[in-house]
Amino acid sequence: MRRDFLVGQIPLVTLIVLGVVIAILTPRFLSPLNLSNVLVQAAVITVIAIGMTFVIIGGGFDLSVGSIVALSGCVCAMVMMEAGIAAGVAAGVAVGALVGLANGLIVTVLKVNPFITTLGTMVLVRGVVFLLTGSQQVPIDQPLPQPFIDFGIERFLGIHYLVWLPVALLFALSWVLARTPYGRSVYATGGNREAAYLSGIRVDRVVASTYVWCGGLAGLAGVMLASRLQSGQPTAGEFYELTAIAAVVLGGASLYGGEGKLYKSVIGVFIMVILGNGLNLLNVDSYWQRVAIGAVIILAAAADRLRAHRA
Amino acid sequence: MPATPVLAAEDLSKRFVAINALDHVNFELAAGEVHALVGENGAGKSTLIKVFGGIHRPDAGRVLVDGAEVELHSPADAYAKGIALIGQELRVVPALSVAENVMLGHLPTRPLVPGIAASAALRLDRARMRAAAGAALAQLNLTVDLDQRVDRLTFAERQSVAIARALSRNARVLVLDEPTAALEEREVHSLFAVIEALKAAGVAILYVSHRLDEIVAIADRCTVMRDGRVAADLARGAFSAAELARHMTGRDIEREHAHGAAAPGETLLEADLGGEVRLRAHEVVGLAGLLGSGTSELLRRLFGAAGGARLRVRGRALDTRHPAESIAAGIGMVPNERILGLVLDQTVRDNIVLPNLGRFGTWWRMDDAAAGRVVRELLVALDVRPPDPDAVVRRLSGGNQQKVILAKWLAARIEVLLLDEPTQGIDVAAKAQIHRLMREFAGRGGAVLFASSELDEVLGQSDAVLAMRRQAISARVARGAGLTEHAVREAITFHR
Ligand SMILES: Nc1ncnc2c1ncn2[C@@H]1O[C@H](COP(=O)(O)OP(=O)(O)OP(=O)(O)O)[C@@H](O)[C@H]1O
Ligand SMILES: [Mg+2]
Repeated sequence: MRRDFLVGQIPLVTLIVLGVVIAILTPRFLSPLNLSNVLVQAAVITVIAIGMTFVIIGGGFDLSVGSIVALSGCVCAMVMMEAGIAAGVAAGVAVGALVGLANGLIVTVLKVNPFITTLGTMVLVRGVVFLLTGSQQVPIDQPLPQPFIDFGIERFLGIHYLVWLPVALLFALSWVLARTPYGRSVYATGGNREAAYLSGIRVDRVVASTYVWCGGLAGLAGVMLASRLQSGQPTAGEFYELTAIAAVVLGGASLYGGEGKLYKSVIGVFIMVILGNGLNLLNVDSYWQRVAIGAVIILAAAADRLRAHRA
Repeated sequence: MPATPVLAAEDLSKRFVAINALDHVNFELAAGEVHALVGENGAGKSTLIKVFGGIHRPDAGRVLVDGAEVELHSPADAYAKGIALIGQELRVVPALSVAENVMLGHLPTRPLVPGIAASAALRLDRARMRAAAGAALAQLNLTVDLDQRVDRLTFAERQSVAIARALSRNARVLVLDEPTAALEEREVHSLFAVIEALKAAGVAILYVSHRLDEIVAIADRCTVMRDGRVAADLARGAFSAAELARHMTGRDIEREHAHGAAAPGETLLEADLGGEVRLRAHEVVGLAGLLGSGTSELLRRLFGAAGGARLRVRGRALDTRHPAESIAAGIGMVPNERILGLVLDQTVRDNIVLPNLGRFGTWWRMDDAAAGRVVRELLVALDVRPPDPDAVVRRLSGGNQQKVILAKWLAARIEVLLLDEPTQGIDVAAKAQIHRLMREFAGRGGAVLFASSELDEVLGQSDAVLAMRRQAISARVARGAGLTEHAVREAITFHR
C-alpha cells in the first residue's frame, strides 16, 4: 500500500526536483516574467492534456490534437471576423469536437486502431487547414476584435485569464471523472472493455465520447492560442500531440487504459513545459532540446511498462 | 528409509500485504506419485505452486529438488530443474503450429551453412522438431495434425499440447492447476489416463482441484491447506470427499439439494432460441450440455450480448440487442470466464457498482456512501475474504473473485439471473454457499438459469433441466416428471 502510494508520487517529486535544479542553474527561471510565461504556455497544453487523459483512460489514443489546435484557431478567427466573438469561439470548439466525433466513430464503428485513425486525421486535418487558409494567417489585413485579444493579455488577481480557464476545467472535469456514473464507466471501459460491456455499459458510446472531449478541448486550446497569437495560424500546434501524450504518461496514466488522474496529467504538463523552458533559459541548442525531450518521453513510457510489470 | 522426494518445501512462508498466503508450509512430492492439493479459496494453493514454478519468491523457507536446495528466480529456472507448471490459462501460442508449440523454447536447429556449427541458430530443423513433438504427443495418446495451428484445437487438446511440451523437456514434476475445470466428462477420463501413464513413467504430479470426487479417484496422497498452513497430509484410503471437506473448512459441509418445494410462479422470461426457454418465478433451471453444445451462447443471447434476441419479459416483448437493455428489463448474467466479469485492477466496490451505476446517486453525483453500505453487506453475506470494499480485485483468490461477480448482480434490481458455470474453480464450502444464494434468489421470486458441465450439480440444484445438444435445446425435464441422470445424459449426448 505504502509502496503504491510512493510510486504514485513519482511525478510530483520529479517536478519539484526539476524545478529546484533549474532554479539553481539559472536565477532567471524564478523571475515573475518567466514564471507567468511558463504558466501561460502550460495553460494551452493543459487543456489538451485533460482531453487526452479522457481518451487514454478509456483505452484509446489521439494524435490529431495538434492539427485540431490549428484548425480551430483558424476557423475561430474566420468566423469571428464575420459573426462576432461568441460565434467564433463556439465554432472553434465545435469544429474540434466534430473532428473528435469523427475519430470516435471511426474507432468504434469501423473498429480501426486508434493510433492509425488519429494519425490519419492528424495529417488530413492539417491539410484541410492549409487549404482553408491558403497557408496564410487569419485574418491577414485587419486585427481580431479587441476584447478577444484582451482576453489573451489581461489578468485577474495577477494571473492571466488564460490560466484561470484550465484551473476551472481541472476542477470540473476531475469531478466528472471521479464522481459521476459516466466517469466510472470511462475507467471501467478502459480497464476491461468486455467486462464493462457485460455489465451493461454502452462501451462504444463511452469510447466515442472520450474522443469528443479530447477534440473539443483541443478546439478550446486552439481558441486560447489564437487569442494569444492574435490570429489563427495554420502551423500552430505542431508537436502538441506528442507533448500532451508524454505529459499524460508522465503523470502516471496507463497506456493500457483504465488508469489516470487529471491533476497528475497536469503535473506531467508542467514537467514538460518547465523542462523546455529551463533548457531555453540555459541556452541549450534547440537540437539538443529535442534530444532531451525525446529521452524524457521514452523514460516515461518505460516507467509505464515497469508499473505494468509490478501489477 | 523412504526415497528422497523429487520436490519439497521446507518451512516456506510468503506474505502479501496483510495476509500470510503461506505460513511455514512443509510439503513433499515423491516420484511416481499423484499428490493432490486442496483447500478453500484463498488457502494458498496457487501461491505454493507459483513458488514451485518460479513465479513468486518465498519470504522464508527453502525449496528442495532431489534433496538439494534450489533458488527459483523465474519460470525458466523451474523448467531447468524439471518442474513444469500447467496453469488454467494455457501458455500456448495460438498462431503457431502444434509441433512448434510443443517444442517452444528448445526448438531443434541445424547448421545453415553445412559444416559450420555456429550457423545453427539460424535454421530450424523441421524434421527433428516434428519427430520430437510427435513422440511427446504419442505418450499422451493424442492424435492431432502436427502442422495445425493451435488455435484450431479444443481446450482439452491445447492442454495436452502444454503437457507434451513439459514432457519434451523431460519434466519430472508436472503441476496442474485445476486442470479439469473446463473439461467435459469424456475429456476428464482421458486426462486421467494420461496421468496414470505419466505416473507409471515416474513423473511426479501435483494436482490442484476443487473437485473432491476426482481427487479421491486418482490421488495417492492429499495435502489439505487452510489459511496458508498445511491442515492435513493424508495417504490414499485415509480420505473421502466428505473428510477432505471437513479438513478444508474445519466443519461439516452439507450438500444441500433442491427439493422443488415452492410451486413455480408466473413466467418471467420466455424466448424461442432453437427450442423454447421459459423461466418462472421461484424456479432454478439447470442448463446441461457438453462443451461446445451452445449453452454459453444461449445465455449470452438471452442477455443481449450475442446478436439480438426476441424475448418476452413478464409477457412484454423485448428485442434485446445490448446487455444494457437486458439489465434494464431485469436480467443479469455471470459469464463463464472470470476475466469477462471483472475489471481486475479496480476495487471490489467499483466492480460491484458497475452494473448499478444508475442506482447509486444521480447522473452528476454518485452516492458512494450508499454504495459502500450495500457492498459491505454483500461481502459479509457472501463471505468474501477479505470483506474489504477497497481491495483490488486482482489480489483476491479465484473463488473470492467469483463471489464478487455474483455480488454485482445481487446488488442490482434484477429478477432473472443467468449463470454460466457459476461454481467453476470454487471450493466446496463456497460452492454450497453459491447454491444456497441461487435458491434464495429464486425464493425471493426470481428465476435462475444456470449452465454447468458438472452433471451432478445440474441434477442436484435444478427444479427443471434444459438439455442442449448441437446448439439446440433437446429436452426439458422437470423434477418429479422424469428428471433422472439417465434422461439428461441421453439428451445431451449425440450418438454418432
Ligand atoms: N499478488 C497478490 N497480492 C496480494 N495478495 C495476494 C496476491 N496473490 C494472492 N494473494 C492472497 O493470498 C491468499 C492466497 O491466495 P491463493 O491464490 O494462493 O489462493 P488459492 O488457494 O489458490 O485459492 P483459489 O482456490 O480461490 O484459487 C489470498 O488471500 C489472496 O487474496
Ligand atoms: Mg488458485
